[in-house]
Amino acid sequence: MIVAELKPIDEIAESISHFKKVAIVACGGCVSICLTGGANNADALARELAHPRHYQSLPPVFDTTTIQRQCEKDFVNAFLNIPPDADAILSLACGAGVQTVAEAMETLPVIPALNTSFLGSLDAPGIWREKCQGCGNCLLAFTGGICPVSRCAKHLLNGPCGGSKNGKCEIGEDTDCAWQLIIDRLKVLGRLDEYEKLFPLKDWSTDRGKGPRVQGVDRTKT
Amino acid sequence: MSYFVVSDNCNGCLSCVENCPANALSYEDADGKRTILHNMARCVRCANCWRVCPQEAIQFQHFLENRWDAVIQLGLVYCSVCGEPLYTAAQEKTLSGNMGRPLEHLCPKHKSADFAARQALFLKKKQSNRETQHDRR
Repeated sequence: MIVAELKPIDEIAESISHFKKVAIVACGGCVSICLTGGANNADALARELAHPRHYQSLPPVFDTTTIQRQCEKDFVNAFLNIPPDADAILSLACGAGVQTVAEAMETLPVIPALNTSFLGSLDAPGIWREKCQGCGNCLLAFTGGICPVSRCAKHLLNGPCGGSKNGKCEIGEDTDCAWQLIIDRLKVLGRLDEYEKLFPLKDWSTDRGKGPRVQGVDRTKT
Repeated sequence: MSYFVVSDNCNGCLSCVENCPANALSYEDADGKRTILHNMARCVRCANCWRVCPQEAIQFQHFLENRWDAVIQLGLVYCSVCGEPLYTAAQEKTLSGNMGRPLEHLCPKHKSADFAARQALFLKKKQSNRETQHDRR
């Protein structure tokens, strides 16, 4: 799922300080699950941002609402209710959600309250870790289900760099060496011979080499 | 039946309510009783409540049940030859309205058989007309 974190409060306060009424829009999708963009977070953020200490003049008035998914334009158009007197939207969604709301609400500025971090999964309660970069050319079938593109700091495709120590990456003790994980996993699976296979140069054009990627056919344009 | 089910282990501590990121859990204290409330429309099914419950009272498996709820029942129209369901009566009303004529209750198979029979009859008539005209000459 998409993981995001709250921007620093000062940065958010600065970006909304010149508005009178701000609609804080929570998202009921991925960012709810990673405890940064849900209804509860919107309420907490509204309470925090209403404090005068963040502003040189009067703080804006806040209204909070939640929409189940901010990343679907027709859904947003149909179900997102913004108070008519709101002069800005503060979105607690990932970047895709913020842009979708901005497209749907053409006349209102939409400001992000989150920094979209990565595609990841829950490793332990409260701990999300990056697992996928959406490179568009999945290699997991050959690496024991562990992604070297997103989990190796150097994105190496043909074994470790040699800098790891006790299974940890040389960039820091908190980071597992992805290739150590891959080798250990292949051993367990009895498929260590897969490690001997060389990957050809990766085709990065499926990543972002051709601009924003699209899936599906826009029948309105055919 | 609610999808949010708790066992008798629940002691009403409100850990789940406090930790729900979607504000899908709430409670009411009234008439000497505490009632835990769940709102399915708000629920993200993130399982945070299940994780944090100190009593292990939340039976999250009910959210994962492969259960179908009946939504609506509509009358069906069947093929007049073989009895295969074709569409609903309401759908027929829409379709015949759009087409400006009543629909024949025939499945694709019998529609093509019916068409072939009608075409054969048409060709036979055409042939017999030709022969009649030829005889007149």
